[in-house]
Amino acid sequence: MTRVIVVTSGKGGVGKTTSSASFASGLALRGFKTAVIDFDVGLRNLDLIMGCERRVVYDFVNVISGDANLHQALIKDRHCENLFVLPASQTRDKDALTEEGVEKVLNDLKHMGFDYVICDSPAGIEHGAIMALTFADEAIVVTNPEVSSIRDSDRILGILQSKSRRARDGQEPVKEHLLITRYSAKRVDEGEMLSYKDVQELLRVPLIGVIPESESVLQASNSGTPVIHTKDEDAADAYQDVVARFLGEERELRFVNFEKPGLFKRLFGG
Amino acid sequence: MSKPIEFKTGTLSAMSAIIRELDNVRLADTMHTMLGGLGEFFAGEATVIDLTQLTKAPERADWAGLLSLLRRYGLQPIAVRQAPEHLVESARKAGLAILSADAGRMSAERPVAAPTAPAPVAPAPEPAQASLDMPAPPTGTATMIIERPLRSGQQIYARGSDVVILGGVSNGAEIIADGSIHCYGPLRGRALAGAQGHTAARIITTCFAPELVSIAGVYRTFERGIAANLAGKPAHAVLRANAAGQQTLNIETLQLD
Ligand SMILES: Nc1ncnc2c1ncn2[C@@H]1O[C@H](COP(=O)(O)OP(=O)(O)OP(=O)(O)O)[C@@H](O)[C@H]1O
Ligand SMILES: [Mg+2]
Repeated sequence: MTRVIVVTSGKGGVGKTTSSASFASGLALRGFKTAVIDFDVGLRNLDLIMGCERRVVYDFVNVISGDANLHQALIKDRHCENLFVLPASQTRDKDALTEEGVEKVLNDLKHMGFDYVICDSPAGIEHGAIMALTFADEAIVVTNPEVSSIRDSDRILGILQSKSRRARDGQEPVKEHLLITRYSAKRVDEGEMLSYKDVQELLRVPLIGVIPESESVLQASNSGTPVIHTKDEDAADAYQDVVARFLGEERELRFVNFEKPGLFKRLFGG
Repeated sequence: MSKPIEFKTGTLSAMSAIIRELDNVRLADTMHTMLGGLGEFFAGEATVIDLTQLTKAPERADWAGLLSLLRRYGLQPIAVRQAPEHLVESARKAGLAILSADAGRMSAERPVAAPTAPAPVAPAPEPAQASLDMPAPPTGTATMIIERPLRSGQQIYARGSDVVILGGVSNGAEIIADGSIHCYGPLRGRALAGAQGHTAARIITTCFAPELVSIAGVYRTFERGIAANLAGKPAHAVLRANAAGQQTLNIETLQLD
């Protein structure tokens, strides 16, 4: 059975595309046949982060409008065997994503034997974001530890409850996961940032992971390699943990406690 | 071929904005305090500007300003009831329908919210004991039960009944009931009980942190914060008569264990 997972947030720039790329890669590394779709029509970011922008010929909207078939449009990932990218188009016409069109593409992916389809949602609560979440079985709600991001995540959770196909058909609700990104244990320790516990307490959604703020995320995007592939890197390890928890493994939270380096050095003589 | 137009009668639920002073500056200020400065407080309800209780009629009215003020909070003004004679023409020009005091009285004047919650499943509540001076409590409708948190931007209206919410009410969400509101989990949004004037309605929560509570139209907002002895604690809001016989909104802690 194919599972459709939307990566969404309401607020822009919180790390949806970064997370979609690494999460999809992580699932593929575990051997699952995975597709990741960019719903951000007009902005197209995912292909850059996945490093496949030069190989884009056809896109999601071409497939929906029948100009190309899925086999032509899916781009095989450079880094993992089982991963395919369906890029967004440059069109300004956001209504090109029709509900029937999206449903048909998802059904075709199901018939092609995909285990997971990851939908990278655009920001906001408009058409594109709604299309990305409509057919979701599960949702990863990406939130930064700040009030405006939490508000928007709360809003998108409400929309998931009312506008998803599962909600409309009265099926079992979309399974929700909270992913906190750009987390700085140091700033939390200094009282400048909300802690992950505060965020979870406000949103009341099970936590699937906390991704630390890390410079290597930007480096990874610039080199077109999702950060999860970076060796010995906190953000990469945190994304590995997210994939493990998603697949039902127990993993303790890491990178959430700040150790004051001065004290450490004084005690152990650095 | 179907006819290009048809006429049918129907009733429309509408809000009444009962305006006692036709002074936009004062109204803006009052609405800001009442509604916590929250834009889109309402959800596009059709609204009748009700001037039946107008204390003094100004020489002219700034309808455009009033309409824009009401719209800013998410109301859709459609008509004016009992406008003073000399203001009728300008109201009509502003696009408002003109209603007399009784004509066009809307069937129900309250927020129209499409409940997004599952159908009620609980048995009908025992009729509460009503004291003589209170409007009869809503009866006959089963308690509405909402099994998920109510999220920012969502609104639920339990028409003619109590509502039980399992999971809390987020900031920016709104729960309205003709009866009482029972919130298990943090109440952080707006809660309006006794929406049709049932003064014995209560708002009960295991974690008190709302933006606004209102019982039978008597409301309180918390822009300046909530008293430390109440914040985050189990509490209920209840109307009690004070020495002068006026109903005041009391918020009291509850001992749950
Ligand atoms: N853990 C992190 N540490 C540091 N920077 C990060 C982290 N996660 C994301 N970023 C940076 O934040 C910016 C936005 O990330 P991204 O494009 O993934 O967000 P988005 O939610 O998809 O944005 P949009 O709403 O525009 O689609 C990027 O510059 C990215 O490099
Ligand atoms: Mg993005």
